[in-house]
Amino acid sequence: MTTVQTRSDTLKRFKNLEFILGVLLVGGITLAVVITHWLFPDSGTQVNLTQRLVPPMTEPGIWLGTDALGRDILGRAILGGEISLKVGVYSALGAVILGIVMGLISGYYGGFVDVFVMRFADVQLALPFILLAITFIAVIGGGLTNMIILLIVSQWVQYARLVRGSVLSLRDQEFILSARAIGVHDIRILFQHLLPNLIGPVIVLMTLNVANNILLESSLTFLGLGVDPTIPSWGGMLAEGRTYLQTAWWLSVFPGLAILLTVLGLNLLGDWLRDILDPTGRTSL
Amino acid sequence: MGKFLFYRLLQAVFVIIVVTLIVSFTIRLTGDPAVMLSQGSGSVTEADLEMIREALGLNQSFAAQYVQFIQGLVVGDMGRSFVGGAPVMDLISRALPATLWLAFASLAVSIVVSIPLGIKAATSRGTWVDQLIRIVSLVGLSFPNFWLAIMLVLLFSIVLGWLPPSGMSGIASFIMPAATMGIILTATNVRLVRTTMLDTLRSQYIMVARAKGLSNTVVLYKHALRNCAIPLITYFGLQFGGLLGGIVVVERVFNWPGLGSLAFDAVAARDYPVLQGVITVLAMMIIVINLLVDIAYGLVDPRVRKE
Amino acid sequence: MKNGKVLLKSLLASVALAAAISAQAGSLTIASPQDPGSWDPIDTFLVNWASVATNVFDGLTYRGPDMALVPGLATAWEENEDGTRIRFTLREDVTFHNGEPFNAESVKFTFDRLLGEEGAQGPQRSNYTAIDSIEIIDDYTVDMHLHQPDPVLLTKLAGYGAMIVPPQYIQEHGSDHFAIHPVGTGPFQIVNYARRERVELEAYADHWGGAPRLDQLTYRFISEPSTAIAELQSGGVHIVIPPTVPIGMIDTIENNRNTHVASVPSPTVEALRFNTESGITADERVRRALIMAVDREAIVDSILAGQGQVISSFQGEFSFGYDPEMEPIPHDMEGARQLLAEAGVEPGASLQIDVRGGDATFGEVAQVVSSYLQMLGLNVSIRGYETNVLLNDIIPEGRTGEMFQQKWGGWTFDFDNTAYLMYHTGERWNPYDSDEELDAMLNEQRSITDPARREDLLQSIARYTQDRALEMPLYSINALYGVRNEVQNFEAAPDNRLRLTDVYLED
Repeated sequence: MTTVQTRSDTLKRFKNLEFILGVLLVGGITLAVVITHWLFPDSGTQVNLTQRLVPPMTEPGIWLGTDALGRDILGRAILGGEISLKVGVYSALGAVILGIVMGLISGYYGGFVDVFVMRFADVQLALPFILLAITFIAVIGGGLTNMIILLIVSQWVQYARLVRGSVLSLRDQEFILSARAIGVHDIRILFQHLLPNLIGPVIVLMTLNVANNILLESSLTFLGLGVDPTIPSWGGMLAEGRTYLQTAWWLSVFPGLAILLTVLGLNLLGDWLRDILDPTGRTSL
Repeated sequence: MGKFLFYRLLQAVFVIIVVTLIVSFTIRLTGDPAVMLSQGSGSVTEADLEMIREALGLNQSFAAQYVQFIQGLVVGDMGRSFVGGAPVMDLISRALPATLWLAFASLAVSIVVSIPLGIKAATSRGTWVDQLIRIVSLVGLSFPNFWLAIMLVLLFSIVLGWLPPSGMSGIASFIMPAATMGIILTATNVRLVRTTMLDTLRSQYIMVARAKGLSNTVVLYKHALRNCAIPLITYFGLQFGGLLGGIVVVERVFNWPGLGSLAFDAVAARDYPVLQGVITVLAMMIIVINLLVDIAYGLVDPRVRKE
Repeated sequence: MKNGKVLLKSLLASVALAAAISAQAGSLTIASPQDPGSWDPIDTFLVNWASVATNVFDGLTYRGPDMALVPGLATAWEENEDGTRIRFTLREDVTFHNGEPFNAESVKFTFDRLLGEEGAQGPQRSNYTAIDSIEIIDDYTVDMHLHQPDPVLLTKLAGYGAMIVPPQYIQEHGSDHFAIHPVGTGPFQIVNYARRERVELEAYADHWGGAPRLDQLTYRFISEPSTAIAELQSGGVHIVIPPTVPIGMIDTIENNRNTHVASVPSPTVEALRFNTESGITADERVRRALIMAVDREAIVDSILAGQGQVISSFQGEFSFGYDPEMEPIPHDMEGARQLLAEAGVEPGASLQIDVRGGDATFGEVAQVVSSYLQMLGLNVSIRGYETNVLLNDIIPEGRTGEMFQQKWGGWTFDFDNTAYLMYHTGERWNPYDSDEELDAMLNEQRSITDPARREDLLQSIARYTQDRALEMPLYSINALYGVRNEVQNFEAAPDNRLRLTDVYLED
């Protein structure tokens, strides 16, 4: 990795269309979700049977229309954004932490943990995720927490493998060997010397994973296995809205767009980050 | 090489055993298939249920049931479905080709789209064309696939009436499902083609070709593409495994008679033999593909064999 | 680019060709949500088995869409004094699809098989345990001997396990073969069965009731509702049968100029039942207050688009034991508040409603119910379970929240079936309650053969459950069929048993 960079190089990187679009999308949506939720915490949960399926922009105060129970679509989309982002971010964070720890141990010490991680990875690779998810959720039940746990379990091993591979290639390099020779504690070597050198690809993978988790959550909800039906998630709204696709398009089009734009923003950022943080392309598999 | 193969085979057997153990055990944690089969039946007594359980072999211990499953597996018998009693082998041998065809078609769609796009992006590296291609291909990756599928059905089947909305019946029925799945792969593949192409274009071999005065198209599509073929095929092979797992949603929307919907229904009905069978077959296929990729690597790069 | 266009054109041409073939005269296609996997009558209890098999098999009796019991393969029957023997006179000159004649031997074989070892492995036998044996009197007369009288036996003989099967064919080919190549006496015969995809039937010209008007009948198995409706709109299927059509898609079907919805009241009823053992719902006053708080009329009108009827007890209007005089507990928010205060329930008390996670319509209903209960100041949460988990683990083991969804659709249309399983002490669907008085009534009605007296008693049972507020009865829901306009003479059946003898397609 080169450490010498001129100022204009750095500037050029940020004047990139992918970066600008990505930041605008992700930042805009996150901000909208946070601010609006803070301003109007209850919008989108109020049932009103006299105002069912109102089209967008036809009545004052109902910008994006109402759903089959007369609830405000805009309010629900914002609440749903919170759920979808939570699922995406928490599960990716959980997987990263677990994956880094296991990957560091596995790569640095080898031994039992290494065997476990690698064999777990084999099993994971051979088990189609969605089928596994369907089986597990049928058994342990849906809900936000279970969904996040399931996503963590299914993804940590990617990070572990990535980190393990990097550790293996760094382990015998001079700066590590000399640190060890002067008696630096293992924990310090792992987190102060090794981690900073391999965090780049992890961040790239994580950004892409948040995007993918949002999609997975919506797929599972579509299959009827998602979070609680009363909690609006984008996936849930989309699944509900498909029934009304031909008669009330706004039910599914707005949450669909919300997912599309958020995931696109994250993917753009991930793609852009990859060029910068992972030029060797370790995360493209 | 022989030792390497033997080691990998051993590993494959281990993975199959763990995978089937996990699935068989989990699916048995809830839901009694006997109750499910007699649902709606007016007055089922515990004695009636016991008779059904006995007929299905469910009153044995988990260990006994699992050993039985493995024994059957060795001789190619995966038992019978609890729903209707069809041999699991029959169900899978009907569903597997449907899924494979769809996976091939999706891969084909994605390759056909991503090769020219990737090459264009590589040759116009750093320009707005390059960026546009990458952004557009990422849009494809960012669609919730079931939503895209439903939208396609609305447009091409209901509004325009061009394509059949579901089922597998002739080439026309492949278009929408393959496009839905293929579009997801396109972003990754465009990137892949672009990167490999950039590497190749820098190589001496291409410089020579250009120096010989060959036309740009010939250089790109004949010489350069051939050179990237091996890494590309490897990646496509690995994607194939991922495709098989992610096919459930698309199969459901398009009512595709494949393994994904077979497995989904099996979970819902707690049809243990069918679920075990499907997962085993899928796991085996993924392992075989990975093994082939590894062997290909092992042949090329002797260092891999040692691991 | 040019090649691409040619390819597209040839693809489109092949589509057009496929469409032309499927538009053949007299060939009807139906979308059914599930493949039963076996066509053997003793193997199944899926409604979707019956929606196909009603065209393939006949029973001794027949129950059509009007719910009246009429002669089937038996032309007449008479019961003896104490109801332990029924004598059937059989129809003559009936043949199975393979040419085998139908006679007393076929009836004896059918019931021996159902009640014997083979039947014991399937779910059907338990419905017919009242039958002791079949005695052949002559070629076209049989006596059915019963262990004890069964008031709904004649109804049960019109469906499922009691369908008459061919003895020679089964003895010759075995049950496994019969399950996928079934032979019956019905108006259509199965000619091609592609598992999980479709089953194709052809008219049986020698049917005893005359040949059906359709030449061909195909069932395609499509589980995803929006996919089935898309097929209906684009002409891939002519009829979509229940329970596929979601309430929310009624407008979609009605707005299309080629399709419409046919609906008929069905035996399916929904209720939110209470945990009467613990939590705030252990108090009868609280249960009553909760029922009063929910405007069930409004739910039926808006969420169900009027495709249902509010019920006063856990049965619909077709049920034997239904009392048209009995009124639902009226909606009264103020009264509910008072009653709740009387019972000492503090505002903010929590209440959990357990529902089937995949049930879109009920999901909406539950959310509306929850919003009414929130108006009482309760803190309501809804928990969705996968259907099988809810039915097998949560309800029978008494692990539900204060309220839980119960959907019920007894095909015998008799309140006995429902009431006994829901209220009798120790029954699977009754994890919480034990009421001696109710048990006594439930036991008593089972031994009464006089229909009028039994109906009286069943009505008292219904009233008793309302007095104790054992559940919040919601509604009976209509069976919805999506139908293309070219389908003629179609009569929607409440129980999904479509006998398509008179249906035809208009060009």
